[in-house]
Amino acid sequence: MNLARDIIDKQLVDRHKTKMGKVDGLILALESGKQPVVSDIEIGSITLARRIGKRAERLVRRLKRRWGAKHSQEPYRVAWRQVRDIGVDIELALDVRETPIFDWQAWLKVKLIKRIGGA
Amino acid sequence: MKKLLEISLGIVTSVGGYLEIGSIATSAEAGAAFGFQLLWALVLGTVCIIVLVEMSGRFAAVSHHTISDAIRERFGFNFFVLPLIVTVLLNLMVLAAEIGGVALAGEFATGIGYQWWAIPAGIVVWLLLWKGTFGLIEKGVALLGLVTLVFVIAAAKLGPDWPELARSVVPSLPQHDGSRYWFLAASILGATISPYLFLFYSSGAIEDRWDESYLWANRAIAGIGMIFGGVIAASVLIIAALVLRPAGIHEITDYHQLPLLLTSVFGFFGLVLFIASLAVACLGAALEIALQQAYLVAQGFGWNWGKDLRPGQAPGFSLVYTVSVMLAAIPMALGIDPLDLTMFSMALTAASLPLTILPFIFLMNDKRFVKEHTNGRLGNLAVLLIIALGCVLAIVTIPLQLFGG
Repeated sequence: MNLARDIIDKQLVDRHKTKMGKVDGLILALESGKQPVVSDIEIGSITLARRIGKRAERLVRRLKRRWGAKHSQEPYRVAWRQVRDIGVDIELALDVRETPIFDWQAWLKVKLIKRIGGA
Repeated sequence: MKKLLEISLGIVTSVGGYLEIGSIATSAEAGAAFGFQLLWALVLGTVCIIVLVEMSGRFAAVSHHTISDAIRERFGFNFFVLPLIVTVLLNLMVLAAEIGGVALAGEFATGIGYQWWAIPAGIVVWLLLWKGTFGLIEKGVALLGLVTLVFVIAAAKLGPDWPELARSVVPSLPQHDGSRYWFLAASILGATISPYLFLFYSSGAIEDRWDESYLWANRAIAGIGMIFGGVIAASVLIIAALVLRPAGIHEITDYHQLPLLLTSVFGFFGLVLFIASLAVACLGAALEIALQQAYLVAQGFGWNWGKDLRPGQAPGFSLVYTVSVMLAAIPMALGIDPLDLTMFSMALTAASLPLTILPFIFLMNDKRFVKEHTNGRLGNLAVLLIIALGCVLAIVTIPLQLFGG
């Protein structure tokens, strides 16, 4: 498997097949004398911005500090062992509702969408 | 039988996607200014869009990826961000032009200025999407869109000079106003080869759960649907050449001249038909573009998306089309001329084509995506030619925008 080609930027779905972001980044664990292994998948705009450049990352971090929730100040990590299947999408064993990934969408739903009657 | 129905609905829907304010305005302008001479641009554009739509459908059916998903997956986020930003901005401009088209229909019908119709038109577009039954509405609007066939009837009634028409399929050099001629050629190509059309089409194929058994249906829908759309757009050009030119209108300086296309053939009834055609064609296109905007962003970031999801099930997706429609309605409400904006955004679309079409050449030859259904030599040659055409357009449209538009 070629990580950059086959894993990065693929669609992630949770165990109910709900789309829950893309593989924005990968975390490799290094141990001396051993092959590096993938330990986590990173999801979030900070990781994406970091891929574009340092300046983009600083900008996104500043915006997050100003407007974002407390727990969204660092990218969200999912342990690699949660991966159940790699096909068209990468299926994870967790439920997206148990993670903070789409807290902003939940916020949107409560604050805005319910009020204009689309929930 | 079910598939035959699907194919006919697919054809009707793609006709709806083809004909919108961009193709009506550019065809009318071209006919008024140069008679049949620019027909070749329409034919060339239609061939290109058939090729691209067929590839989008084939790609989605075999790989189960939308084009946007695949661009990010294959080229990475750092490349994806370029077509993302360019397409989002262009979509906003074209969406504004389509809302302007609906608003113009409102003005023609009531005499109340289009500025006052922009916000209501935006609200209608948004409500149809928000209520989450788009699958049904899409087909309804597409069927209503068949009213635009009236342009074909009008063109046939006027009886164009067929040999001259046939000669215009071959490109020729202009005898006057060179820069305007090429600007219009670029605008026609931009209006015909709309990125939102083939991006939208691949999302639709995923939504309708296409698989490899749909490949021939895809070919039929892409081919027949786009040819139908092209024939209607060509009819607009023919009518403009036979009606506006003899009346001394060589340049459409005012959108009030547009209804003449049908009133000169059908009288008062023609006005009603023109209003209906403009309203339905632009409404259909506005729905597709707003939705395409939401598809693009949601697919780019991996959010939940789907035209039949309630906003509560896909808040991010719904937010994108809501904000887009709001932003697009504002310039029209402020009184920006819909026709000027249309011509401007069509030329810019043409200039952006290399960026949106370049990924095709890689995606359509990547066996990990399309298995054995990769492009043949002819298909690859066609894409390369479209990219080359796009590059030429990108280089020439910007100066022409300044001197010819």
